[in-house]
Amino acid sequence: MAETKYQTAGLKVWRKAKEIREKYYKDYAGAHDGRALRWGGGAWSFDAVPQALEGEIYPLTEEPYGASIGANPVFQVRCQEAAEGKGYARDLCAYMRGYWGSIIRDQYAFGGKWPKPDFIFQNHICCSHAKWLQVASELEGGIPYFCFDVGAGPYNKIGERQINYVVEQLYDGIEFLEKTTGRKIVDEKLIQNVYNTYISNSLWSKSCELNQNIPAPLDEKSMYSLYVLGTLQKSSKEVADFYKELYEETKERVANKIAAVGNEQCRIIGDSQPPWAFLRVLRYMEKYGVVSLGSLYTFSLIGWWRIDGKGNLVPYKTLEEQGIKIKDRDHALRLLTEGELKGKLMWAPFYGASLKNELVTKIASQWKIDAAMIHVNRGCEGTAQHQMEMKLALAKAGFPVMTYEGNMADEREFDEARTLRLMDLFLTETMGLKKLEW
Amino acid sequence: MDPIERFKEVYEKRHEYAKDWKVKTGRKVVAYFCTYVPEEILYAAGVLPVRILGGHEPPHLAAPHMFDMWCPFSRDCLSQGLQGKYNYADGVMIAQSCLHPRQAFGAWQIHIPHEWDYFLCMPNAVRSPRAKPFLRGELAEFKKSVEEWLGKAITDKDLDQAIEVYNTNRYLMKQVYELRKLDNPPITGAEAMTMVVTSQLMDKREHNELLQQLVKELPNRKLDRETGIRLMIVGSEDDDHTFLEMVEKLNSTFVIEDHCTGSRYFWNEVISEKDRLQAIANRYCDRVPCPSKDWGPDDPSRLRFPHILNLAKEYKVQGAIVIQQKFCDPHEIDIPSLREFLEKNGIPTHFLEFEVTVPVGQFRIRVEAFLEQIRAEELFV
Amino acid sequence: MIAAGIDIGGKVAKAVIVEDGKVLGKAWNLTGINKAEAAERVYNEALRKAGLQRKDVERVVATGSGAKRVTFAQGTIADAAAAARGINRLYPNVRTVIDVGAEEGRAIKVSPEGRVLDFAINEKCAAGTGTFVEAMARALEVPIEEIGKLSLSSTQTIAMNAQCAVFGESEVVSLIHTKTPKPDIARAVHDAIAGRIGSVARIVGLEKDIALVGGVAKNIGFADSLKKDLKLDVLIPDEPEFVGALGTAAAAAAGVLEEEVRAKVLEKEKYAEGK
Repeated sequence: MAETKYQTAGLKVWRKAKEIREKYYKDYAGAHDGRALRWGGGAWSFDAVPQALEGEIYPLTEEPYGASIGANPVFQVRCQEAAEGKGYARDLCAYMRGYWGSIIRDQYAFGGKWPKPDFIFQNHICCSHAKWLQVASELEGGIPYFCFDVGAGPYNKIGERQINYVVEQLYDGIEFLEKTTGRKIVDEKLIQNVYNTYISNSLWSKSCELNQNIPAPLDEKSMYSLYVLGTLQKSSKEVADFYKELYEETKERVANKIAAVGNEQCRIIGDSQPPWAFLRVLRYMEKYGVVSLGSLYTFSLIGWWRIDGKGNLVPYKTLEEQGIKIKDRDHALRLLTEGELKGKLMWAPFYGASLKNELVTKIASQWKIDAAMIHVNRGCEGTAQHQMEMKLALAKAGFPVMTYEGNMADEREFDEARTLRLMDLFLTETMGLKKLEW
Repeated sequence: MDPIERFKEVYEKRHEYAKDWKVKTGRKVVAYFCTYVPEEILYAAGVLPVRILGGHEPPHLAAPHMFDMWCPFSRDCLSQGLQGKYNYADGVMIAQSCLHPRQAFGAWQIHIPHEWDYFLCMPNAVRSPRAKPFLRGELAEFKKSVEEWLGKAITDKDLDQAIEVYNTNRYLMKQVYELRKLDNPPITGAEAMTMVVTSQLMDKREHNELLQQLVKELPNRKLDRETGIRLMIVGSEDDDHTFLEMVEKLNSTFVIEDHCTGSRYFWNEVISEKDRLQAIANRYCDRVPCPSKDWGPDDPSRLRFPHILNLAKEYKVQGAIVIQQKFCDPHEIDIPSLREFLEKNGIPTHFLEFEVTVPVGQFRIRVEAFLEQIRAEELFV
Repeated sequence: MIAAGIDIGGKVAKAVIVEDGKVLGKAWNLTGINKAEAAERVYNEALRKAGLQRKDVERVVATGSGAKRVTFAQGTIADAAAAARGINRLYPNVRTVIDVGAEEGRAIKVSPEGRVLDFAINEKCAAGTGTFVEAMARALEVPIEEIGKLSLSSTQTIAMNAQCAVFGESEVVSLIHTKTPKPDIARAVHDAIAGRIGSVARIVGLEKDIALVGGVAKNIGFADSLKKDLKLDVLIPDEPEFVGALGTAAAAAAGVLEEEVRAKVLEKEKYAEGK
């Protein structure tokens, strides 16, 4: 192999990430065998709460599940055609259609029949979330359903009132959970889950922050296999421990100047989910020595951040680092809510283009990017908000930006050949790069 | 002047109306997206709230700001703004509901000059008991922002007067709608739509005067037309009067509708309470919901569906045309279930997808076939 | 050095042969189904017109949707790059070039050196391409060569949606049924496409001078509609359909693909040696 500018090495935690993920989907499907419960909800769903029920309980977060379907083009098309056969429009959220298709076909993406959740515990931020599970409940002939609203305002306007709004809904949610399952919420479990949630979010952000280094220790394609665990169950000890391990390894890589892309010569950010069935386009750009460092989406779908006194984006601190000891249930719920509402900057675009632009230009500057390559994602209107305004803002700040249309989980809407041609055009013409590998 | 003619005139010349109003009153205009905006508070401050609507033209100027997959109505609205059509608007605002107009609002905030803008966090969980107090808190902050902008307080008296004007407007439009229940409604669907849309564009005091006149005159109004098949139109924002007029030339009449340039805009009044802001909050939480808010918290059923069916029964509807703006997610999620529900309850449905302009000829053929289907079914009932 | 540019478009294949900036010969052909054959045909035709043989040409580069089928080319460049270089040869003051072909419409921001600074493509939507014009001409039963001129005699404007080609065609059919005069329908079609392309152009920004190239640039009705939509004057070169091939030939002559060529040669050698 030709010598590269920087040393490279695979990630040691890679295998563990895969194992945790595989186990997660297996545990969910097999829950009833062990008389455990299983529930469905969003990746942003405050899993700390239902996971605090006594006894064993396993979640399935629907967006990563939709992404898993999307990564398998053959299965994905079958699921989506099944949903479309029921009259659902093709431009609806691609994850949602895949999920519904999975129910309709009674097929689990990981083999076997679709494992029906015992209840739904869902949060609502985009205009589809609650309705996604509304239809799912209908398709399943009715499932106990609880949905709460987290659209309480942008991160920089969160005060007691907004936190109260969500916390009170969570109390209503607890009442629902206890009534529906006949089990009680165990405060000790809840408290530990909240500590873990903070750890997962903080340590992921810290790992992403290390990508400010040159060379970047992590590349976005690999990061997708790492962030996914936080979307599955950020409140679990296993996931929290994983992120601690990842952070240590990433620090080591920085110290030893181990690069994600050996020939790193151009640093970019993206936006929104990638086309899951075509992650190879991220590998393709590496032939030009391009490293995709992440994006607002990758950094803070899970990953909490705050703006420090100097106006920089910095990782949220864990509760341990903040010297906070959780006193009781109420304290746990408040801290959980505060972290999500203030720290999850991925929710900022829901409140305006200017908010997104401000964060993205900070990322551009702090992560020392050379350009942006935006996946204009027809599959998710939530994460694809204000992408054209983002392009304008970055161009104004002096960064070349390209866009390419696609769909995160509907391969019928992604033209790989054309995308690669556009990337070639952008990287050779606009960025003046030459291919370093063929 | 004949109220219906006046409605048509304002509908066609909406921007001139707003500009004249500004000159006449010396006061400010706020252009708004979405009918969840608590207009009463703006009105109480002496502001004219004007709903931003599309121009039914391809939205050429929107492309650099909004990707094509957002609903055409939202892009049309933005394009109108970028063309300068709303330059008379001093402020612009939105209430949190669906994502599509949010894109237009976000771009508007950045690129279209204005003095004041506001994103109101209208709660999504409108059926949760937590929503009303939360919204009351939001409205208090909103009111403060309006007061700071205009440099004057909004008193309880101002709010009472505004609520009164708005409730009167809703009540009068409902009275007009009562007449649409008749075997031969004295007002067509297209005319009724124009009446409702102009309520979103005019000073409601003025609109109320026209409504009062209309309510008096309508019982004696004889339309030189057959009522024909009684239709309902259900769906996304729709002010495509070309479409409505085309359908109503086919021996049919739209006797009722559920959309936000129709009954959904005004169906619920503010029920007075000592705490005026709470009263307004209650109204906006309890109103007939937009699909994006029609859920939970612990019940996945939709409230809109029985409401639509009730309307269909009260208005003796024979068929429903279910429409959506292209790419409209909230409606797309509801439509398959809605159609099944209506059909199960004896209301045949026909689905159409709208854009900024519609292929009237093709739609006519489809609607004719639908009407034939209804007539044939009735023969065998 | 004598260099050649081969542009295999969705509908039309073009070839241009240059030496020291001068065009020695050019040709065009319908692409048809077999792009490799189309490339051979058009190249042979251009050689014949230039009075040259293949061995006289030192470098051949291809562009267009069929670029990879040009087996005798030593490399390829993207359509947008070809259009940028081509227009830069002809009109170095152009900063925005709008290129509308059979399959794709695109807008390109061009540097003074002819590099692509930014681009926007009319993706996934036929209503903004030559194919759409052809379909509408068929619906109106007007020869494609005449539809542009026909639209110029229109006396009224009709708003027509062109985000979706299917919707657009439906609207044309509706207009025909309401006995709208053909010139007005033709005008509506051109206005609709111009609106679509104008939208794409606005994404890169309308910096003067602005040029229109590609096969659809020859349509005087479209050109007129586009100028009205942009409210700006638009330069249209003679033979706008050859600008891409010209730019490709220029790229070939400039040795733009030196590295790619060398890498491919190395790869071939390695393969031949069984490594």
